[in-house]
Amino acid sequence: MDEKILVVDDDPDILEAVTMILESKGYMTVKAQNGLEALEKIKTEKPSLIILDLLMPKMDGFSVIKTVQEPKWAGAQNIPVLILTSVREDASRRRYELETGKDLDVDDYLEKPFSPDVLLKRVSKLLSKIKK
Amino acid sequence: MKMENEKTISQEFTPEEVALLTRLKIFINLRWTVIAGTIIATFVGPQVFHIIFPTLPVYIICAIIAAYNVVLFFQIRNLTKVGNKSLVETARGIGNIHFFLDLMSLAGILHFTGGIENPFIFYFVAHVVSASVVVHYRVAFFLSTTAIIIVVALVGLEYFGVIPHENLQGFASPNLYQEPVYIFAVLIVLITLIYGFTYMLTAVSGELRKRQRQVLKLQEWLLEQKNYELGRASREIYQLGEERKRFLFFLGVAAHDLKAPLTAIQSYLWVMLDGYAGKLTEKQHGMLERCSFRIRELLNLISNLLDIPRIETGQLVHEMKEISLLEIVNKSIEGLRNLAEEKKLRIIPELPDKLPNVNGAESRLAQVINNLLDNAIRYTPQGSITVRAKQNDKYIEVQIEDTGIGIPQQDLPKICQDFFRASNVDTKGTGLGLSIVKRIIEAHGGKIWVESPVPESKIGTRVAFMLPVAC
Repeated sequence: MDEKILVVDDDPDILEAVTMILESKGYMTVKAQNGLEALEKIKTEKPSLIILDLLMPKMDGFSVIKTVQEPKWAGAQNIPVLILTSVREDASRRRYELETGKDLDVDDYLEKPFSPDVLLKRVSKLLSKIKK
Repeated sequence: MKMENEKTISQEFTPEEVALLTRLKIFINLRWTVIAGTIIATFVGPQVFHIIFPTLPVYIICAIIAAYNVVLFFQIRNLTKVGNKSLVETARGIGNIHFFLDLMSLAGILHFTGGIENPFIFYFVAHVVSASVVVHYRVAFFLSTTAIIIVVALVGLEYFGVIPHENLQGFASPNLYQEPVYIFAVLIVLITLIYGFTYMLTAVSGELRKRQRQVLKLQEWLLEQKNYELGRASREIYQLGEERKRFLFFLGVAAHDLKAPLTAIQSYLWVMLDGYAGKLTEKQHGMLERCSFRIRELLNLISNLLDIPRIETGQLVHEMKEISLLEIVNKSIEGLRNLAEEKKLRIIPELPDKLPNVNGAESRLAQVINNLLDNAIRYTPQGSITVRAKQNDKYIEVQIEDTGIGIPQQDLPKICQDFFRASNVDTKGTGLGLSIVKRIIEAHGGKIWVESPVPESKIGTRVAFMLPVAC
C-alpha cells in the first residue's frame, strides 16, 4: 500500500491519533493543521485521499472544499474527501448550502469521536473506489 | 373634513389655514352674488317699481368691486401655491383690506341710493358678520367700529348738507333724511346689531379656532407618542435578535470547545482499546472501556445541554422540510436491532406501507425515535418492543410500547422534566433524554404522552407522540 493520505486537523492530538491508526495499516500520511497548509500540501504532495476537519483557524474546511472546486485546481478535484469533524453532518450541510448555495460535495462524513475500525473501513472503501 | 372638498388646497395646510382660505373663497363667491344682485336691483328698481335714483354711479361702484374681487381671487390662489409660513397673517391682511373696500363701496352705493332712506343700510351688518368669522376678535371690533363711523359719517354729512342727498324718488319721502328721530332709531338698531353680531361671532369662531388648535396639538402628541413607542419596540426587537445571535454563536463555540478535548481523549482510548498501541491486559482493557463509557456519557450530556437552548430559540424551523416519518422509524429500528438482540428482546414493527409526510427536522426526529427505542430496550429485561405508526385524521401517531419495568405512578407526571430519573432505575443517564424529546415534538407542533402500565397489557410503558401531517 503506497497511498498517501493528507490528514487535516487543528487538534494535534487528533492529528497524531489519526495518522497513527492509518500508519498502523501501512498508509503514508501527510499532516496539515489548517486549511492554508492543506492547500499547500495538496499541491506539493498530491495525496490520494484527504481527511478533513471543518472548524479550523486561518482557513476552515468549508473554504478548502470551495477552493479545490475552482477550475485552477482541476488536478485536485478528483481526490476523495472524508470529513472528520465534531460538527453534526446536517448542520454542516446546511451551513455550506447557506454560504455557497451549493450542496456540500464530499465523499464521506464521519462525526467525532470516531472508532479506529470505522475510520479504516471508510478509508479503504474510498481508496478502492478510485482504483476502479 | 373640509380637506376633502377643497382639492385646490393641499394637505400640508393646518386645519386653521384651510378654514381661513375656505372662508375667503366663500367671500369671493358671495361678492360676485352681491354685484349681480346690486346690478339687478339697480335695473329693476327704476323699471318695475319706478324708484328714481342716479344709476350710473352704482354701476361704476359695482365695476370697482368686481375689479378688486378679481385681484383678491388671484391673491388667494398665489397664497395656496407658495409655501407661505405666515399664511394666516397674510390672508387676514388681505381680508382686512378687502373688508375696508367693501365698506367704502357699500357706503358709496348707499350715498347714491338714498342714504338713511335705503333699508340696504342694514347690509353693513352682513359685512361685519363676514369679517368677524375670519379675523381676530380685536380686529373684528375695530372693523365694526370703522363700519359704524362710515355709516354715521355718511348719514351726518348728508344731514348737515356737507354732501348732497339723493332721494329715492317713489320709495321714501324726500325729507326723511332730515328726521332726527328716524335717523337716531335706524342708527341705534344698526349699531347694536353690528356690535351684537361681532361679539357673538368672534366668541363662537374664536372658540372654534381654539378647539381646532387643541385637536391638532392632541393629534400631534398622539402621533409622537405612537412613534416613540414604535421606535422603542423595534429597538427592543432588534436587541433581542442580536442577543439571540450572540447566544447561539456562544453555544456553537462552547459546544465545539467542550467537545474537542473529550473527542481527543475518546479517540486515544479507542486507539488503545482496538489494539493500535500494543496489546492490553484484560484489566487494562476493562478500565479503558470504563473511561470510554464515561467520556461518551459526558459527550452526550454536553450535546443534550446545548440542544435545549437551540430547540427553545426556534432553531429547528431552519432544519425542517417535508420528510417521511415512516422511513425514519424504519431506519431507527434497523439501527437498534442489534442492541435489542443482545438482550434477547424482539422489536415488533406494526407499520403501514404508506403514511403521509410530515414537516420536520430529520435528524431531530431520528433523535426522538432513537431515544424512545433506546429507553424501551434499556428498561425492558425481557419480552418485546412494539413500534406502531398510523394516520389519525390530520396527525400521524407513533407509539413505542415495551413489556419492561414501567414507570412508578408517582413519577409519571415528572417523567419529561429536565434531569428527572424515575425512582425504579439504577442505570446511568443524563435525565435529559425525554425532556429533549418532548421539546423536539412540541417544536414540531405535536404532542407526546406516556402511559404506564400499558392499559391493555397491564405491564410496561407506552410512549406515544403525534405530529401534524404536512400540507
